[in-house]
Amino acid sequence: MKKIIVACGGAVATSTVAASAIKDLCKANQIPVEIIQIRMSEIESNLDGVDLIVTTMRIKKDFGKPYVNGMAFLSGINKETTEEQILSYLK
Amino acid sequence: METILYCVQYFVDLGAAVMLPIVIFIVAMCLGQSFGKALKSGISIGIGFIGIGLVIGLMLNNLAPAAKAMSANFGISMNIIDLGWPGSSPMTWASSIALVAIPVAIAVNILMLILKLTRVVNIDIWNIWHFAFTGAIINIATGSYTLGILGVALHAAYAYKIGDWFAPVTEKYFGLKGIAMPHGTTGWFAPIAVPVDLILNRIPIIKDIDINLESFEKHFGSLGDPAIMGAIMGIIIGILAGYDVRGVLTLGIQMAAVIILMPQVVKHIMSGLLPVSETARTVLQKHFKNSTFYIGLDCALLLGDPAVVAASLLFIPVTIFIAAIVPGNQILPFGDLPTIGFFIAMAVGVHGGNLFRTLITGSIVMFMTIWISNQMIGLHTVLAANAGQVTSSVSQFASLDQGGSPVTYILTQIMNTTNVTGLALIGIFYGACVVCTYFWHKKQLAAMTQEAELRLENK
Repeated sequence: MKKIIVACGGAVATSTVAASAIKDLCKANQIPVEIIQIRMSEIESNLDGVDLIVTTMRIKKDFGKPYVNGMAFLSGINKETTEEQILSYLK
Repeated sequence: METILYCVQYFVDLGAAVMLPIVIFIVAMCLGQSFGKALKSGISIGIGFIGIGLVIGLMLNNLAPAAKAMSANFGISMNIIDLGWPGSSPMTWASSIALVAIPVAIAVNILMLILKLTRVVNIDIWNIWHFAFTGAIINIATGSYTLGILGVALHAAYAYKIGDWFAPVTEKYFGLKGIAMPHGTTGWFAPIAVPVDLILNRIPIIKDIDINLESFEKHFGSLGDPAIMGAIMGIIIGILAGYDVRGVLTLGIQMAAVIILMPQVVKHIMSGLLPVSETARTVLQKHFKNSTFYIGLDCALLLGDPAVVAASLLFIPVTIFIAAIVPGNQILPFGDLPTIGFFIAMAVGVHGGNLFRTLITGSIVMFMTIWISNQMIGLHTVLAANAGQVTSSVSQFASLDQGGSPVTYILTQIMNTTNVTGLALIGIFYGACVVCTYFWHKKQLAAMTQEAELRLENK
């Protein structure tokens, strides 16, 4: 089981779009995942055992975990590249 | 005829948690989703409504009496709890105007694109609730559904223009190329930052003050964790309310729970809207796919910037302080505090990350927001009642986001004037800021074109 944090400003709108896309992506690739959808300010206190962090906004801070920017799930631009990046961290 | 009316009335009386799942299920089926997915979307939105009802109940039943006791102890009047956007957005989605608002906002967008009035292609369907809120409030104030829809259209058109005006800031400061933020909260206050910047640039000494609080987050970052912040707020209010130790600690944990659970339940409403927002995105992208367009996205994207994070932390205490000094304020800021960054994010960009200037703009913004949301309590309460969220223990509702928006206030007052002085003051002040922003934007565009030409010449 892989653990992924999906975060955005308010943990409601953009992160739901990204989380749902990632869930579908992992299902299609048969990777069991647990998705934690939170606010960006909660990332720090939820890092235990996390395999990947995806945020819909740019973060400048390094949390010491693999990180992918998930903005492509909102804009649709370069979505395939982002998906490949995510899979490369989970395989 | 009577039977049809009876059926419609029966359907509406089912309440948002039952009616919306059925509506969303039908809409999703019409948009070509599979039966299972459509059903899941429908039920999901219902889950969101049941969930937010529980969380708001937890909040109001415990925090409201404490706030009343606190107010009585200190002779202040902050006894209405700010629900925040996690509270006001579900009420808006439950209003009769919300589902019509989505096609209206998209139609206004397409019309403006065709007429070349905007370059923003808005694919941020969730935040249409801000426009819908304005429409719903106008509908309640005037009793006219048509005026409500007109309100949605006007607010949407204004938001797209805001997206255009501040796209250079989004690109230059936040590094998001080709992205605009036609957002209901970040949108409206951004024009206030422009005159503040222009005025401060003319004052000697003050114009050179530039506070950068990179270390601020390191020292106080953990206090910005919503769970800890909620607990501290609960404990302080409990102490001020004169509760015993058990009561104080209980309130602390309850408020931490509210702050953490709120987005966890509201996100199910967003899940339910996904089929609609995905279809809208695909259609808009197919037709407006050129580099001359900006893609309109949620301003949540700005909240990761370190200066915005620092400003958000700073504005938790600042907002409470401002609430204490706004004349006649009855509202205790709470639901919006964990995401107070939505109110100031674009100002940080306009001020180039200067926190001193952001503090000034933000204070004006919060003062105005809190004053306006007090004016809106009556209409907001009707909106809550229509969504079925009024309980016996709580009879008044308010929110800073979106209840405190001058756009909503000005439009509502124009269509149904109840406070001429308020309309004149807010209207003139905000209008001046918008005019100022318009010319500032022209100048910025000219500067950017010149820069681009210079670069070409140098090559």
